Amino acid sequence: MTDDGRGGGGTQVVPALAGFGRELRAAGLRVGTGQVLSFCQGLSHLDPTDLRDLYWSGRACLVSHRDDLTAYDAAFGRYFLGEAAPRLVADTDRAPTVDSIGARPLDTPAPVVGGERRPSAEDVGQAASEVELLRAKDFAECDPDELAAIGRLMTGLVVGTPTRKTRRTERARKGARPDLRRALRTHVRHGGADLRIPRRRPRIRPRPLVLLLDVSGSMSSYSRALLQFAYAVARGPGRVEVFCFGTRLTRVSGALARRDPDEALRRAAETVVDWQGGTRIGESIREYLRTWAWRGGFRGGVVVVCSDGLERGDPEVLAAAMARLARLAYRVFWVNPLKTGPAYEPATRGMRAALPHIDLLVSGHNLASLASLGAVLEALD
Amino acid sequence: MSTKPADQPGRPQSVEELSARLGEQAYLADRGLATAVFLSLSLGQPLLLEGEAGVGKTEVAKALAPALGAELVRLQCYEGIDAHQALYEWDYTRQLLYARLLQEGRELREDAADEIFGPRFLVERPLLQAVRAGDRAVLLIDEIDRADDEFEAFLLEMLSDFQVTVPELGTIRAERPPAVVLTSNRTRELHDALKRRCLYHWIDYPSLDREVEILAARAPAVPADLARRVAAAVDRIRTLDLVKAPGVAETIEWAKALAFLGVSQLERDSVDVTLGAVVKDHDDLVRIRDDLERILAYD
Repeated sequence: MTDDGRGGGGTQVVPALAGFGRELRAAGLRVGTGQVLSFCQGLSHLDPTDLRDLYWSGRACLVSHRDDLTAYDAAFGRYFLGEAAPRLVADTDRAPTVDSIGARPLDTPAPVVGGERRPSAEDVGQAASEVELLRAKDFAECDPDELAAIGRLMTGLVVGTPTRKTRRTERARKGARPDLRRALRTHVRHGGADLRIPRRRPRIRPRPLVLLLDVSGSMSSYSRALLQFAYAVARGPGRVEVFCFGTRLTRVSGALARRDPDEALRRAAETVVDWQGGTRIGESIREYLRTWAWRGGFRGGVVVVCSDGLERGDPEVLAAAMARLARLAYRVFWVNPLKTGPAYEPATRGMRAALPHIDLLVSGHNLASLASLGAVLEALD
Repeated sequence: MSTKPADQPGRPQSVEELSARLGEQAYLADRGLATAVFLSLSLGQPLLLEGEAGVGKTEVAKALAPALGAELVRLQCYEGIDAHQALYEWDYTRQLLYARLLQEGRELREDAADEIFGPRFLVERPLLQAVRAGDRAVLLIDEIDRADDEFEAFLLEMLSDFQVTVPELGTIRAERPPAVVLTSNRTRELHDALKRRCLYHWIDYPSLDREVEILAARAPAVPADLARRVAAAVDRIRTLDLVKAPGVAETIEWAKALAFLGVSQLERDSVDVTLGAVVKDHDDLVRIRDDLERILAYD
């Protein structure tokens, strides 16, 4: 790295370049000081008056996510080309998410989860004394206070994530593989008198877990509880990705990664555009497969789909998507709140199409059954 | 550690020169990529390349090495790779044998331990090779997203000071760091700290004209007319809603396959038998066969 102080070739240039860094931050990009420094130093090797050099070196130095490229282009246009753009971000340094920069009008429905009055301490106390009752109560029959109480119960729920053996190994008293590296060391140390051979065994790591939550109208009594469940799972040790879908798929993992559950759920709810629209399960799963799954990030992972199976789209599409999902994933679970007993017969066309590709169908209509789903996940090997 | 390109013989002096040198290696870099590579060399920072599979991320490093007159050192990442597979390893079996030989009767030598843990028994892995070679190497860290995050943290440390400490031998340090190219297919998001240390470039699918030029450079045996038809067809295929859209590598393979069969026109029959070179998913194949007339339409 150059530290010869030749930053961009002039005193006027550097503040302008640094200003661009601030502009990007205001547009929601995470730009570190080191990156701005690289940008200035880099331009000293190029021609800062050449817009192409300016554009490309800025892109190389200041952007580190593909998703930020659009925001970068917009900010570049605003800052260097003076293109008029609606500045939603006034003078705040606190950057909003990139989503809110997009031209989407503010017609997203009011957040369903957070935002409302928190129940008082008395309510909580009362609800806590009725935990057992709540555990068995169908989410659809709960009033808002009860749902809030369930939400808090769930955040306390530590859901185990499934595990797998990896190719990395760790020391073990009884392992399948000899540890030659340590064998040599003890051999040298003890002058060849030590006959024990140290061992290693494969390390156990969590499997990736993917939750696909149906938030369409027919699921409205359950979607909030499911989102809370997702929050509880996402705080577990493993890699967890959470998506919501109705007519289209939205990733909410990022929003759920907050410490404060209310804040996390509020953000997740804001991210989802089509709360309570129709359901296109097949399309949504296909969308997931196309944009997220093929990259392999979840190969060997476990997928949990939460939906009532009321498919408005083509059941053929759903069947094909589920077949592909089942081939890529280690296990596919389906949570259907309509399945309330063991004698459940799938009535909807969508459910019938999906059923052959599901490893396990559970009900998940109340807290007890979601907790048991957590136990099933944890027991997988 | 100032590494202005002028300090280093053999390094290009401008973006244009770099583009031209990559061009000599049959790699056509667009302005954005060339600028990113040039900056990476000038600033001595690693370059992180992301993009869909098959757009030529790895090829950048492969072309860059001869363009700089440097040696390519490749570290292929995989699940479970650890520091010893990337840095160095002692040849334990030979060490044990040698230790046994020393034990058997002959006079006890003072320096036996030094000898056992000496360069003779050290197996160099890519990172140590790259540190030793310094700026005479281009270090390619391929598919970093496949390694786990512990390895990423180790790499971050390694990339910041380019020195390796072998406790038995001492510290080995690169006086001038090698050029470093990292590639990722985005199977998982990399850690922000690593990303911030790197320059970043997203490689997109090339435009139609650019892809024709790439075909001309990479597969000179393919007739120009066929190359254009193939590129146009692939361009249309990419607009379909596929599980895995074909990359540039697939385009080249397909054009080569067709040329090898002596085909000069894209016709249903010849396309049908060679389609496996360009699309490698059953569902996608079915889809494309349904839509073949439109894909092959050429004007």
